Amino acid sequence: MKSIKILSLLLALIMCLGMFAGCGDIEDIEDAGNEDGTGVSSKYTEKNTTYKIGVSGPLTGGAAPYGVAVKNSAQMAVDEINAAGGLNGVKFELVVMDDKHDATLIPTNYAALYEGGMQVSLGTVTTAPGLEFKTLSKEDNVFFLTPSASGDKIPEFDNGYQMCFADGNQGKVAADFVNDNYSGKTIGVFFKSDDPYSKGIYDQFKANIDASVTVTETSFTESTKTDFSSQIDTLKNCEFIFMPIYSEPASLFMTQAKDILLADAVYFGCDGFDGIDHLEGFEINKIPQKVTMLSHFNSKATEGKAKEFIDKYVDKYGIDTLNQFGASAYDCVYAIYGAMKAAIDSGKEIPVTISASALCDILKEQFNGGYTFADGATGQNIKWAANGYVEKGAIQYVIKDAGTN
Amino acid sequence: MNLKKFKFTHYINYFVIGILTIVLAVLTMTKTVFPSSFLYLMEKMSISVILAVSLSLVVGFLGELSLGHAGFMCVGAYLGGKVASMLVPVMGNSIPTFLISLAVGAIAAAICGAIIGIPALRLRGDYLAIVTLAFGEIVKSIFQNTSDATFGGAMGLATPRFSKSYLFLFALVLVLITLAVVQNFIRSKHGRAVTAIRDNEIAAKATGINVTKYKLIAFIISATFAGVAGVLYSFSTSTIQSITFDYNYSIEILVMVVLGGMGNINGSIIAAALITFLNTKLPTILTGDLAVLQDLLYALILIVIIIYNNAPALKNFRDRVSLSKLLKKLFRHKNDPSSISDDAAKWDVVPTKIEMNEVLSVDVVPPDLQDPSGKGGDD
Amino acid sequence: MELFLTTLINGLSLGGIYAMIALGYTMVYGIAKMLNFAHGDIIMVGGYTIYVFMATKNPFLAIFMAVLFCVILGILIEKIAYKPLRGASPLAVLITAIGVSYLLQSLALIIFKSASKTVTVFELKSVSLFGVPVQISALLTLAVTVVVMVVLTLFIKYTRLGRAMIAVSEDKGAAQLMGINVNGIITVTFAIGSALAALAGLFLLMRAPNLTNTFGAMPGIKAFTAAVIGGIGSIPGAMLGGILLGFVECIAAKITVIAPYTDAIEFSILIIILLVRPTGFLGKKRREKV
Repeated sequence: MKSIKILSLLLALIMCLGMFAGCGDIEDIEDAGNEDGTGVSSKYTEKNTTYKIGVSGPLTGGAAPYGVAVKNSAQMAVDEINAAGGLNGVKFELVVMDDKHDATLIPTNYAALYEGGMQVSLGTVTTAPGLEFKTLSKEDNVFFLTPSASGDKIPEFDNGYQMCFADGNQGKVAADFVNDNYSGKTIGVFFKSDDPYSKGIYDQFKANIDASVTVTETSFTESTKTDFSSQIDTLKNCEFIFMPIYSEPASLFMTQAKDILLADAVYFGCDGFDGIDHLEGFEINKIPQKVTMLSHFNSKATEGKAKEFIDKYVDKYGIDTLNQFGASAYDCVYAIYGAMKAAIDSGKEIPVTISASALCDILKEQFNGGYTFADGATGQNIKWAANGYVEKGAIQYVIKDAGTN
Repeated sequence: MNLKKFKFTHYINYFVIGILTIVLAVLTMTKTVFPSSFLYLMEKMSISVILAVSLSLVVGFLGELSLGHAGFMCVGAYLGGKVASMLVPVMGNSIPTFLISLAVGAIAAAICGAIIGIPALRLRGDYLAIVTLAFGEIVKSIFQNTSDATFGGAMGLATPRFSKSYLFLFALVLVLITLAVVQNFIRSKHGRAVTAIRDNEIAAKATGINVTKYKLIAFIISATFAGVAGVLYSFSTSTIQSITFDYNYSIEILVMVVLGGMGNINGSIIAAALITFLNTKLPTILTGDLAVLQDLLYALILIVIIIYNNAPALKNFRDRVSLSKLLKKLFRHKNDPSSISDDAAKWDVVPTKIEMNEVLSVDVVPPDLQDPSGKGGDD
Repeated sequence: MELFLTTLINGLSLGGIYAMIALGYTMVYGIAKMLNFAHGDIIMVGGYTIYVFMATKNPFLAIFMAVLFCVILGILIEKIAYKPLRGASPLAVLITAIGVSYLLQSLALIIFKSASKTVTVFELKSVSLFGVPVQISALLTLAVTVVVMVVLTLFIKYTRLGRAMIAVSEDKGAAQLMGINVNGIITVTFAIGSALAALAGLFLLMRAPNLTNTFGAMPGIKAFTAAVIGGIGSIPGAMLGGILLGFVECIAAKITVIAPYTDAIEFSILIIILLVRPTGFLGKKRREKV
């Protein structure tokens, strides 16, 4: 038996050493096929007959409503663009992969997208998988404009951009609002301690809040997300409750708390609140408290692009999954389309077989060079800062006023 | 150096993976570029195989049910990843960084293995199972609530990614090391002691086997390699999120071990590779609206295979069409007709080919008497 | 006082739900000697059945249908998935149960889609108890749990069927020799467990009306923990474990500093209890035989 042990260890050692010798400095082997002579096409995109947009989002599992909304809306935008003749006759194609809101599935999803000929991406729908996606896309230099992965670090590299507000930004805006309106009072904060989205906003909020505001805080986790009786008890005397969480747990909290909290209390959520008034079975009008949120999308819009989007979406997919994630994805597709069009107008060539990396350079130039997305469902005159954060107006959107009806 | 005892068939997995590794290593050195999807798949499969083989030691050979294997992996991933992220600014993303992180992660997981091994001395069967599950959830919960400066908390720990062109080779080498250690352990006298404890603890005690020692050893080895898999994972990803290591992950590893056949290392390897392949390929095949079918397919395949493999009513049918039995027959008659009477050979074969109902019976009673002695409270 | 009372009632009602689920685990374990990992998902099925039949606006019909459907489903699962494996390794049965659990979850996802459904079964307000507002649903949960426990205990102690169940759990072979239909008893056990799961689903919905396809998973695990704390196989043990766990969860969630560690605390308590009493509070100690 000893012989085998020695043999095996030897074999292992030899291979380790072999690698030492083979590559003193551990660096990736350059993919020669990636950039051919002209530097325009790559081996994965050379057979493309359409511009391929890839996105990874949760189509199953708890976060699925967001992934489904993004899938539907982006598909809707792609269909519209194609129906109008595409970009100089070239059509777009959307590929959506399911990541179940699980970061471990990203490497294979990303590779499948990339090797399937993806030229530009909407990144991921949610933040946790997005943290992995941004690193992988940086390695291949793939441009992504995420509709809803709002983590502060998502646009960390030069190839990543956001259509939604970054978490830190939301936390700061919310804190400013509270400082202005609730100075000297006690407010409540309710967040999900194991979720990067919720924790990210909460941390920024905490850092920006004035000392004059007394904060009563309480939290929950993935496994305690169904029963909030003790948290409700903690917050029952607060007249303002900041909830940087997604709409499902929020609706649950509200249902459980409706008779316990002060009837004139105000809920204040971030973009995660979106769609809370369409949750099936959740009757928001039976909640006596006022429900508000910080948002870039008004799901009750009566005019403009937002209204147009809502009408088309509801007509096609129903109201259940109508939320800002979808609106944002719709805008993302149009923003990318617009930027590509602008690049072509300025004399750049974008052949249908363009490599992801070459397209990324063109789009980066556009997005950093003052490209403005004039009119979207989630805002007007949308611009991007050099760090990838979006610059557009936020609205303090009242989902439902106080009182039951 | 007793080459007579050396049986090629016992180490076939080792050689197959070894040859694969060498071929891939040579191709890599000659600057062949593999598609990323292939590299990621190899990394994932290697991680799964290491996890399955190490869990197989506790579940298949020691006969204790563990539902917390992902917890050990979590410890390895976080500590290895943390050390790596501290070392990279000093030493660069180099092989020494990799090896040091690997050692730290493995040792940390080994310590946890020892900690969990202690209740294992007192608890049996389902009680131990729930303790290991609890351990996994506790570990997850602790890392989830750490501050940003230590382990990143809910935001996850950012770890350096190792060069992807080479990481899969390191992963394969680690698979080989895992196999070498675990298989040699199982086929040594220590391994026979472990299987003796599984088959009948009291009889094992009576023959002078130090049950405490061997149970602890098995748990520690198993945890160490789970830690190794964790470190490997931390190098293959850019952010570690504790939510990854929940009990569902532990169950997935257990499924690999059980599907492969209890106490059958080759089976575990194949099952681990196959399940990982399914899990990563299904989302790429079933995109868009079809995504909801993934879990359904997975569940159906799982149920059908388990029932087919284990249902007592299907035993005759299985025997008739069993491929492995046929092969074994051919092998034995051709090469080594005397092996049946060879005591040592018998020992080598027995632990890998245990009948399902002898394994992991919660009682220490022989299987045919199992039912009559079973009481409501069990143990 | 107020804090004490709300926590007490909350803890008791959550504990009651856990106990009800734990009963299902414990009875199935006691009689079929298997860990039914799919038990938590029966709760989810019960929840969705209530959701579907709430369209009739008749909560009692919905509850009745949920119990009926879960009983049928429980029996079907036992016949199709578990019965062929009787006599096989407990681990094979465990993995099949996990497979059934995934199957139920994915079917629910396909049928009801991913968006969560909010179900309001009863419009219940809170009442004042010693000047403290208390949710009626919590009191109702508590009352029903107590009734169920008492009925179940009486059923097992004083009916022929109940005594046959004890006999099967004590010694399957001997029970068969005495003319007890072991397969029938196992079916009855699954039916009772599933009915309890449907009820637990109802009460979980009353506490937290958001229904997704993983609705029953975590309560299932917690209840399994409760069953083990109380001593798996023991019916009073399941109640004790459930209520203990419910209390711990409610108290831990109250204290901001330790609230994020609620799970860790619950599981640590489990480990500590098992280290002191390796078979849980009321689990039977059995001498090892060779």
